[in-house]
Amino acid sequence: MKLIKIPEDKYYEYKIQAMFDCYKWDPQFCDTNTLSRYVLILTKKENEEIIKLTESLDRETRLAEEYLNKNINVAKKLALPRKILEQIPNMQSYDKSQNIRLMRYDFHPSTDNNWVVTEVNSDCPGGFAESSLLPNIARKIIDMTELEYNSFGEKMVEAINKKLNKKGTIMMVHCTCFSDDRQVMQYMGDRLEKEGYKIIYGAADHIKFKENKAYCILDNNQMSIDLIFRFTPLEWLIQMKPRRWDGYFSSITKSCNHPISIYAQSKRFPFVWKDLEKAGISMKTWKKLLPETFEVKNFSLDEGFIYKPVYGRVGEKISIKEACKEDEYEKILKDVKKHPKQYLLQKKFQSKPLIGEDGKEYHICLGSYTIEGEHAGYYARMSIYPRIDSYAEDIPVLIEK
Amino acid sequence: MSGREVFKIYAPASAKWTDWVRPVLFVAIDTYNRKPIGDWQDRKVMFIKEYQQDTAIFIDLPGKESIELGINLGYFGYRPIPVFNGTDEQRGSQATTNTYLIESCLINGSEKLKNIQLKSDANPAFLLDSYRTNRYRTKESIFDNSWDLYKQDVPSAKYFKQNGINKIIIVGDTIQRDIKKILLKFQEEGIEIYITDGYVFPKKVILTKTIKERFEREEI
Repeated sequence: MKLIKIPEDKYYEYKIQAMFDCYKWDPQFCDTNTLSRYVLILTKKENEEIIKLTESLDRETRLAEEYLNKNINVAKKLALPRKILEQIPNMQSYDKSQNIRLMRYDFHPSTDNNWVVTEVNSDCPGGFAESSLLPNIARKIIDMTELEYNSFGEKMVEAINKKLNKKGTIMMVHCTCFSDDRQVMQYMGDRLEKEGYKIIYGAADHIKFKENKAYCILDNNQMSIDLIFRFTPLEWLIQMKPRRWDGYFSSITKSCNHPISIYAQSKRFPFVWKDLEKAGISMKTWKKLLPETFEVKNFSLDEGFIYKPVYGRVGEKISIKEACKEDEYEKILKDVKKHPKQYLLQKKFQSKPLIGEDGKEYHICLGSYTIEGEHAGYYARMSIYPRIDSYAEDIPVLIEK
Repeated sequence: MSGREVFKIYAPASAKWTDWVRPVLFVAIDTYNRKPIGDWQDRKVMFIKEYQQDTAIFIDLPGKESIELGINLGYFGYRPIPVFNGTDEQRGSQATTNTYLIESCLINGSEKLKNIQLKSDANPAFLLDSYRTNRYRTKESIFDNSWDLYKQDVPSAKYFKQNGINKIIIVGDTIQRDIKKILLKFQEEGIEIYITDGYVFPKKVILTKTIKERFEREEI
């Protein structure tokens, strides 16, 4: 892997293109510009290696979630929210052939020259446009058009066409008050509209279910839905009032993702691996790549360990001291003491940074998507700290031939 | 003018504070082919007499008024920084917040702004829509495109102070709860907060947490 800098005199135009042509509507977070001045280049070998690992992780994860869905006593170890546990019986109608399964695995290079995977974004991974459109603009800007990229968007279109055959209505379900959610949905919606689908943007409570089928209730858009494309995380969905979300769990309308995604979304996922292996499901790749993970039992945090929230997103509340801002580290420790079940303990790995042209070190998180078990492109972020959080920068990924 | 061209007038290369201009509504200008409005009003700036080196302004008025006043603050030396962050509703649906008018007004504003000579380090006047938090839905079939301002949408207190800003003036009827959350932190860090309705000279306010706010789980 290496970094190539976008020429200084071209960066402003690049950023404008990212915002206006690549749906990058959140280019600033506090005082940080979140669009990298670099491009990430993977060698052919690295690309092949990650694809192999990703697809292997995905096979294990999908077998695991199907097992967990049928074995509630094992699933209970994931400490799923009570409201979701209650829905497991309703998820028994899940048919993988009727749904589209999308996940993103977060890879990090480590100082011992291995890959480490820190999590799977199993429920609602984002970054679609950054993965699909930004690389093409970047390779032109750096004048290296021979470099390749895997477009997430095109793979997703293929997968949807296989299920819907270019006919029908797709509802892009998201939190309509957040423009950074809408940007993810809008890219995919615009792309799918070109294929001939009717696209509706709406919130999770704009769907009602009749006989387990989804219907849109938005003004002047009342109609049946052929595919639910959900970007509202399940942990948020179940907070919705009035309660109209049960239907998502028993729906026979095709979904991406179906709520079966919750099992691997819990970062307590490694705590069920023994049970899975007893049942004959190998978790070999996961065991090789995920740092050792433990329950929070006492509150003396050893040097080589970190706390992580069970349902954390974008690196929030991870106790990597050197990456924490102001009194954040102390606040996390305090929160762990108050809510130990909402956290887990994980062995800290040493991220191997790449050196930029400016001489600075940059830590990389390379998100590798899968759709229906196959690798479907990359979404990468980088940071000057060894924690990839909301302050991290989006960096397009290109691959050497 | 395209949304991209309008955006570049508000956020020219190398001008300070422009990294915070949110592109969402500028993108929508192109998507929905917005045109300028016909009833633009030049709003007289009455609450300050001159540019203040240590002051940033947050205009929290209805979107159109916010842009009109923000542009006129340009003549005083302040750079208008639109931070509108709502999205357009699903076509055909009723929405809680009107983004169309703001999108159109941004075009009008840009036509004025391009003729104002601003210093590259001009202090910011952040433009907000005071209707942004209207999220009451009279029926469930309405599209909720309300939005809140979050701490990540604006510079940190540290950044303001490092750049010589020690005072923030809020122009609005009240300090809304989302801004209050941000300003409480700013106040803790030594930034003074002032409020004006846009007509009278700003008055200093000391923000305090309500009982409910005191017991909220601490944000990490």
